[in-house]
Amino acid sequence: MTQKTNNNILEVIQVENLRKHYNGTYNGIMALKGISFSVKRGEIFGLLGPNGAGKTTTINILTTLTPPTSGVAYVNGYNINTKPDKVRASIGLVFQETTLDTHLTAEENLYLHALLYGVNKKDFITRKREVLKLCELWERRKSPVSQFSGGMKRRLEIARALIHFPKILFLDEPTVGLDPQTRNKIWDYIFTTKKQKGTTIFLTTQYLNEAEVCDRIAIIDYGKIIALDTPENLKKMIGGDIITLRTTDNEKAFAQIKEKLPQCKIKRIGKEIQIEVATGEEFLPSLIKTITPKILSLELHHPTLEDVFLELTGRKIRENNTPDTEDIFSFNLKSFLALFKNNNHKNTNGH
Amino acid sequence: MATNTANFFSSKSLRALYVIWYREILLYWRNKIKVFTSIFLPVLIAVAFGTGLGSILEFRHLPYNFSQFLYPGILGLSISVMSITSTLSIVWDREYGFLREILVAPVSRSVIAWGKILGASTVALIEGILLLFTAPYFNLVLSPLQIGEIFLVIIIFTLGVAGLGVFLTSFVSRTESFSLLLQLFIAPMSFLSGGFFPLNSLPLWLQNLARFNPLAYGIDALRWTILSGNLSASQISTFTLHSLPSCIIALLIFDFIIILLAFRAFKK
Ligand SMILES: Nc1ncnc2c1ncn2[C@@H]1O[C@H](COP(=O)(O)OP(=O)(O)OP(=O)(O)O)[C@@H](O)[C@H]1O
Ligand SMILES: [Mg+2]
Repeated sequence: MTQKTNNNILEVIQVENLRKHYNGTYNGIMALKGISFSVKRGEIFGLLGPNGAGKTTTINILTTLTPPTSGVAYVNGYNINTKPDKVRASIGLVFQETTLDTHLTAEENLYLHALLYGVNKKDFITRKREVLKLCELWERRKSPVSQFSGGMKRRLEIARALIHFPKILFLDEPTVGLDPQTRNKIWDYIFTTKKQKGTTIFLTTQYLNEAEVCDRIAIIDYGKIIALDTPENLKKMIGGDIITLRTTDNEKAFAQIKEKLPQCKIKRIGKEIQIEVATGEEFLPSLIKTITPKILSLELHHPTLEDVFLELTGRKIRENNTPDTEDIFSFNLKSFLALFKNNNHKNTNGH
Repeated sequence: MATNTANFFSSKSLRALYVIWYREILLYWRNKIKVFTSIFLPVLIAVAFGTGLGSILEFRHLPYNFSQFLYPGILGLSISVMSITSTLSIVWDREYGFLREILVAPVSRSVIAWGKILGASTVALIEGILLLFTAPYFNLVLSPLQIGEIFLVIIIFTLGVAGLGVFLTSFVSRTESFSLLLQLFIAPMSFLSGGFFPLNSLPLWLQNLARFNPLAYGIDALRWTILSGNLSASQISTFTLHSLPSCIIALLIFDFIIILLAFRAFKK
């Protein structure tokens, strides 16, 4: 297999100055204004951006569905412009909109896909069982897809994209419009896949907490990549963590911090003291030792990607964030991620 | 085109061709209404002509049996409709997204278009076979050789009709508009197909117009093959516009051109 030679490529996706101009009724739209980035083998790479930023356009170009106006990209070592068939054989893709055949059953959808990608019968039978169990649709495998809920369809689509052991899995907003429980399930599923098969995952999202769990993210806005790093590093760009403190004697505490802990920025806001510091966790013990007045309340707030987006563009990424669903979600994800990171030493985070 | 033909016959392409074709057959099989109509029509014909409708249609002044004249026309029109409406699945797939799943697979576009055309043609052949079971009600005797010829004609004929369907699908994005577009095409084409009355009884300008109608060639070809056991060549030539060889040549040319156009349209 020619694929073999590509197994040791470190950068499975390389994008060089991609541009895409859509011809429109008026002047057309420059959907991508020259983007460049690369994705490393085995990482979860997120493309974060608001509606119309160019996320789907990027995915369509990388998966050879749309030709770029200019620029070049390599996917699994193959040029998207000259070797589209090779690219398509290396990838799995879950579109933003559902692309299941609702006339057919779950199993038949998987079967047609396996045939299209040349998975042999024996592999298919074991693989089918594996993916259907994983996405908890094994019992429903004989039901027509038209009877599935949105979340079930989404899970089946991801399962389908995995049937042929793709090297790279593209997910265009995999959890959009789903409830928090389903979103969690889908993420569990994405992590398991990555862990078991070492699949590289390229996903787009508008949800900040989803971007948060990616190994690296690129923030895209109006067809340009305005930042690219690990979520941790991006947030450090903001200037560190924020500690909010209330004591019985704020005057005295303020003076003490100023004198003994010069590395932080300090402000008094009403009845509270606000401290901005690079790494809050490391700073807290020395802070507690330093001040003598009794501490009434102490809060450590990490900057979010929302802060990053706000800093970079002066806007919020989405007009109406829904914090209620996001809270439950980010909590679960974080604990899940912590578990995951312990099992799997990686170097992408730099620490 | 040239780059595709090189790997077209690889086992990978053949397998992909099989998948697209297989799904068309599955879709047909799942579509209860379609299966029902394809069985219903032969049954209706059997009941109607078995109980004597044929004798009402016997016109004394005609030198041939009118219901025997009618039979290949009914068959030809039903298989054309079956074939062209099967390509509706492309529009459906486009509207509901499944087409993208196929397009992103490592399969060339011409293979996809071929799979759709062959699928539509197969469904039409099934319909044709079901209809051939009613031949005895028209007192038609069909030899095995004739049945082979009829199958060949059906295949050559419906490939082109399916190609026309695939070609037309590229102009519409919604299922309803496609149905309307089809009616726009099917109605005048059926009228000028010679299915219901001999084309050579029409005014000359209409006859000339019918020379551009692929259905007319298909139905004449079916007449020649289906009726050859009962009627002599001179009898058949009294109600056909074209000879069998010219029908076959015209159909093959039509197939070639329309399938090429269908590929080009499908690629964009
Ligand atoms: N086929 C097309 N023809 C013309 N313009 C298009 C086409 N597809 C996308 N665009 C335009 O390109 C820009 C980027 O669209 P794209 O779909 O890539 O955004 P997105 O980041 O995926 O947004 P969303 O979060 O809403 O899915 C938008 O301004 C859109 O209107
Ligand atoms: Mg999108």
